[in-house]
Amino acid sequence: MLELYTSEPNTFFLKPLIALAEKQATFILHYFDAARLEQFDPRRPECTESRLHLEREGPVLVHDGTIIVSTFFMLEYIADALAGPALMPRTAYDAYRARAWGQYLGAQLGSIVPVLGCARYLRRRLAQLDAAALAARVAAIEPIERRAGWQALLDGSYGETELEAQRHRLRAPVGRIEKALADGPWLAGPDFSIADIDAYAMLTVLPDLAPDVVNPQATPRVLEFLGRVGSRPSVRDALATSRTGRPAEHFVPGVEASRWG
Amino acid sequence: MPVTLYHWEPNANSGKPMLTLAEKGVAYESRYLDLLQFDQHKPEYLAVNPDGTIPAMVHGSYVLTESTPMMEYVDDAFPGPPLKPADPKARWRMRWWMRFFDAYFAPSLSMIGWSIFVGPAARHRPEAELRAAIDRIPLEARRIAWRKALFNEFSAEELAESKRRVLFSTRVLEEHLGRHEWIAGDTFSLGDINGFNLGYALPLSQPDHCNDDKTPRIMEWLRRIYERPATRETWAKGRTPLSARISMLERRPHA
Repeated sequence: MLELYTSEPNTFFLKPLIALAEKQATFILHYFDAARLEQFDPRRPECTESRLHLEREGPVLVHDGTIIVSTFFMLEYIADALAGPALMPRTAYDAYRARAWGQYLGAQLGSIVPVLGCARYLRRRLAQLDAAALAARVAAIEPIERRAGWQALLDGSYGETELEAQRHRLRAPVGRIEKALADGPWLAGPDFSIADIDAYAMLTVLPDLAPDVVNPQATPRVLEFLGRVGSRPSVRDALATSRTGRPAEHFVPGVEASRWG
Repeated sequence: MPVTLYHWEPNANSGKPMLTLAEKGVAYESRYLDLLQFDQHKPEYLAVNPDGTIPAMVHGSYVLTESTPMMEYVDDAFPGPPLKPADPKARWRMRWWMRFFDAYFAPSLSMIGWSIFVGPAARHRPEAELRAAIDRIPLEARRIAWRKALFNEFSAEELAESKRRVLFSTRVLEEHLGRHEWIAGDTFSLGDINGFNLGYALPLSQPDHCNDDKTPRIMEWLRRIYERPATRETWAKGRTPLSARISMLERRPHA
């Protein structure tokens, strides 16, 4: 049995939904509202790895009782374990490229995009909740790295200076993708792969969140790539799981930025 | 196709492909770069890896620069004993733990290591020379790291947080090795190679927290990896006291 615990199909939550649709897999979807902190329900399945929350928030896949977390490796697991079209590049070198993208973009886009999205959209939603109750719930979040992602939204850490710094950080990974797409339509070899799903789920919100970085003049290939991936039936199926009709406005705190500065 | 590996000591990121190649029995041309002499930022190396990070592996026309995906490439591209489990769930576990090592445990451990070892070892040169060396580093993140190490700019809070994370990670790893013989499960894998490069000197750097009494499973796991022929062969390539620390994993007869 295959089950996915997930929220609005955006960023981290969008990735496995696209991969499962590509595989045409049958699965049970357990929806939670991350903006109302429903993911902290103690009845949700947990294991050592899921409790450590390397990405801080995100979907949980349960396959025949085994819990799979961390979205790039979840994509690789879906590619690996489920029947259907190949989603992992066929050659060793292209597989290396997919994994290198997953590692690099996981640290870069995975930490930057959620800050920009949460500052614009999640903070507004949290402001509608009872402040004292919310503060108490956030104070109880473990581990502290996961708590810090939510605390930053409550204590005003994301001011305009910080958001400008995040948009500055965005230029390097976006520039690297733009350059790579000059060599072909996909990021890791001649075929569509998990590297494209992984990148798409984070890039697709950037024309909205950082139009000064992702726009037709600066990043024409990134925009073509978004159109190419976005027209796949799997993406339409994934987005159809939205219950709000506006999935691109739903964010959760993401990967912790490097502590080295 | 010949393999050329640009690396520093068998330690941390450089040691990951070195030990993987040795486990697979793949011969390679070794190009040693002295991290403390900033060899990795010199033009001849930047022509190989413009990011100026080590290690880098050249296999025919392919250039690989990310050490953990590089290990998977070595396992995928060459014959020899498989270093990834056959079961997809165990492969997922291996990858999850490698990310835990790379993204959580290692940055904290290396911040302590850079403040104690790398910074002081490279700091003795004139300040102008050090600043010029930093200016040649291509990646902004690496310039920040080197500036902090060379001018001792780690704050007490940063180092205390790194220490907390190292102790937390050590406890989590000890618990994990209570459930599984190896990082991925029942078989030796890339996860063990990754973890060993990160942690082989933990008993020396954290003697109060990583020892036979407090972390017996980590100690046994490290010794089992140390005793593998590929590990002996790889650490024999070390040139500094850094890699010589591995000898403390030698089993000593009980008195």
